[in-house]
Amino acid sequence: MIEITIDNKTVEANEGETVLQAALRNGIEIPHFCYHPCLSIAGNCRVCLVKVDGRPKLMPACNQTVAPNMVVETEAPEVQSARAAVMQFIMLNHPGDCGICDKAGECRVQEYQFKYGMAEPISIEPKHHKKKFNYLSERIVLDNERCILCSRCVRFTREVSKSAQLGIVERGSHSYVARLDAQPFDDPYSDNVLGICPTGALLSREFMYKSRVWYLEPVRSVCTRCARGCSVNVWRRKKHWYVRSLGEEKNITAYRISPLENPEINGRWICNTGFDLHKFMARPRAMAPMMAGNTVTVDEASAEANRLLAGATNPAIILSAHASNEELQAFKEKLSPRVQVYTREDYCPAEGEVVEDDLLIRADKNPNSYSVHAMFGQKAFSAAAGHDVVIVWGDQVDYTSLGNAKIIHLTSYAPEQETRADVLLPISTTFERSGTFCNFEGKTNRFEQVFDKPKLVQHASDLFGRL
Amino acid sequence: MSCLEEKFDQLRSVYPAEMNSSLVLPLLHLMLKEKGHLTESDAVFIAQYLDVPPMQVKEALTWYTMLYRQPVGKHVIKICRNIGCSLMGAERLIEYLERKLGIKEGETTADGRFTLLAVECLASCGTAPAMQIDDTYHEQLNESKIDQILKELS
Repeated sequence: MIEITIDNKTVEANEGETVLQAALRNGIEIPHFCYHPCLSIAGNCRVCLVKVDGRPKLMPACNQTVAPNMVVETEAPEVQSARAAVMQFIMLNHPGDCGICDKAGECRVQEYQFKYGMAEPISIEPKHHKKKFNYLSERIVLDNERCILCSRCVRFTREVSKSAQLGIVERGSHSYVARLDAQPFDDPYSDNVLGICPTGALLSREFMYKSRVWYLEPVRSVCTRCARGCSVNVWRRKKHWYVRSLGEEKNITAYRISPLENPEINGRWICNTGFDLHKFMARPRAMAPMMAGNTVTVDEASAEANRLLAGATNPAIILSAHASNEELQAFKEKLSPRVQVYTREDYCPAEGEVVEDDLLIRADKNPNSYSVHAMFGQKAFSAAAGHDVVIVWGDQVDYTSLGNAKIIHLTSYAPEQETRADVLLPISTTFERSGTFCNFEGKTNRFEQVFDKPKLVQHASDLFGRL
Repeated sequence: MSCLEEKFDQLRSVYPAEMNSSLVLPLLHLMLKEKGHLTESDAVFIAQYLDVPPMQVKEALTWYTMLYRQPVGKHVIKICRNIGCSLMGAERLIEYLERKLGIKEGETTADGRFTLLAVECLASCGTAPAMQIDDTYHEQLNESKIDQILKELS
């Protein structure tokens, strides 16, 4: 531990740490664009300049290692004027088109310009123009005019995702972020650059013009696309901004997914499949109970399920690895003594999907296999065991593998093939309930409810109480 | 490309092993001499040869103006337009060359003999105005001197 003074306040810094890191850890704000805690130090934006006693010039806080008894000033007049000058420089060719920019409202350039910049540009030169719609991939559009060349995205692809697909080409005021002409930016972690971009240069093509960000709020959730169980934010419309007439579906739309920092599980990143979680969740739902293909009421369906179970001589259940720990517990308490328990993987890797890698992606494409196996072991269903009633819990069921048994199907999504289920009971998705999953390492991660469940859909844990 | 790769191997043998990135520029220069101008696919070729990210080679290729990315004429005239030479009348000389060759700065004559490029400092401010034709410096230029130099070039 080293003691240093920042703005007349004595703070403790770790040896080898930079002034910026020590300041941020102690709640002292120093503006920064190019510095990112997970990336190497570039020191190119210069907005973090601070005054260090005994140094002839202002020093970039991001690249200044702390030393014993160092005295730092972050609000000295010369620091303030340097900041304003740096903002002038950064804004020199920035179009300032916040009004039509998706990043407005969560943009560092906007924030710092407002806070530290001058009201008027002092340059009389016309702005330098660059290409505005640069499609890096199917997912990402790059606006070179808005880019401030902080190189965060470039360093991300080199240091974190290791694809090294982005670079800065040309030089001087002509330089811009680019990929190879011959290869799209198809890094499986590419969308993380949207979050680390400090301005509106890199934008999601899917989210483009869908909503202003200040209408939205994040809700803590867990990605269900693999056994890593990354923490994510699901962005929903704020209640205050609910649409009350046309377009009410906007109120129950998950607009986008962003990574939620969780040092234990996923750090600050998620994969592109995680960024698509809201699209995965928006598939056609099973919205009403069905019996032999006909829509019925919840009571009728429950009664029929109970009748089937009561008359069964050898009932079984196939558990869902998408069930939360709480649901599995409810099942264990209420139903498990009466049925033979089997497990399965609801989802297997899709064609073309990254199966597993060294960073985050796991081969098991289900969020809670760990708890299922810990509580009930691992045993695949076999039709040869002669079960007469089978409860299938989860999506993606191949009914033919179940033999001639009567089927009670608990599913969130409309079955892809024509359903042969005798009773189909719709259940809530992870967006419609709160709970916990245990990831492949056994780490528990909590997800909150994002939306209310549709009326005829039930929580699986409630359902077990009725059966 | 096999002949080129032999030359690459030769150059590589004089560099320490595991220093592939240091070979990016020498290989780009070597390839430029062979091909006249370089494209992205050449950068990718070098990257694959050296096992470095293609973007790293493309960055180097686009950063240096002496690495041509368009076909150039037999002789490349690089005339300085930076402050020292400008004070000594470089702007007039650039105009003179444009008139004489019938092309604009950055263009190549129809017969493919000359490409005219205005460049930044050639580090010859003491003998301004200066220009570089291929690998030769020509200093303390004036219009008649330029006439003479161009006449002597084949």
